[in-house]
Amino acid sequence: MVDLDREVAGIRCREVLELLSSYLDGDVTESEKRRIDAHLLECDHCLRFGRDFAEAIGALRRELRRSPALDQDVARRLRERLAKE
Amino acid sequence: MTEADDQRLLLAASQGDRAAFDGFVRRHEDAVFRLLQASASCDADAEDALQEAFVAAWKNAGSYRGGPSARAWVMTIARNALRRAHRRRAGEPADFEPIGEMGLQAGWGRDEALEGLARREVLERALGALDGEMREVLTLRDLEGFSGDEVAEMLGISVAAMKSRLHRARLRFVSALREVAHG
Repeated sequence: MVDLDREVAGIRCREVLELLSSYLDGDVTESEKRRIDAHLLECDHCLRFGRDFAEAIGALRRELRRSPALDQDVARRLRERLAKE
Repeated sequence: MTEADDQRLLLAASQGDRAAFDGFVRRHEDAVFRLLQASASCDADAEDALQEAFVAAWKNAGSYRGGPSARAWVMTIARNALRRAHRRRAGEPADFEPIGEMGLQAGWGRDEALEGLARREVLERALGALDGEMREVLTLRDLEGFSGDEVAEMLGISVAAMKSRLHRARLRFVSALREVAHG
């Protein structure tokens, strides 16, 4: 039975879940980081989900950041429109 | 090319230098269109907003005074162009689902591994499954690499609201990734 309100190391799983993006972005306070780190040492659910979450966002950034250039027809129509201005 | 180059191009454009403006367009059109495609309901809307945005940038090049980067400036113009198109249609849906529910849907507490992370088409389909507002914030923050402050400014919302929207979008992305990868 999974329970998001389980408290481990002084912080509930639900709170860790809410702070996950900020934690990933290095945008939590020192105190929050210490509490989350301590929680992750003892909570398999949050550790596993946190890893999946970080890997998914990492893959998004890595694989999709370099997207194809603007379609040639779209670029041509943009230039035609600008030429009228 | 640097931010200083952008500023020079826009200054020249504000004095009627069309070649300089064309250079500015070439520098940013790909990223602007990616953002618009991520946010728009269809490519036709994205293309209309692309044209409207660069026409507005051409006419208002002299109003750029630095502050946000020139790329952020033209992204904001583009986003506003698209929002005007949206406003002409229906209102945007809000998503106030509790974070806990979203976490459970994204796989918190489940044992099965997340798959498909190395497959571009899976990632693209998962991103495409999000609503426009969520794709927009992910595109700006995680694909285009703008800072949180810049994204908040472009979206016209507080930094706290941007963080909340970004987190919801990331959780939804992980949910979509599971659905796409696991069929």
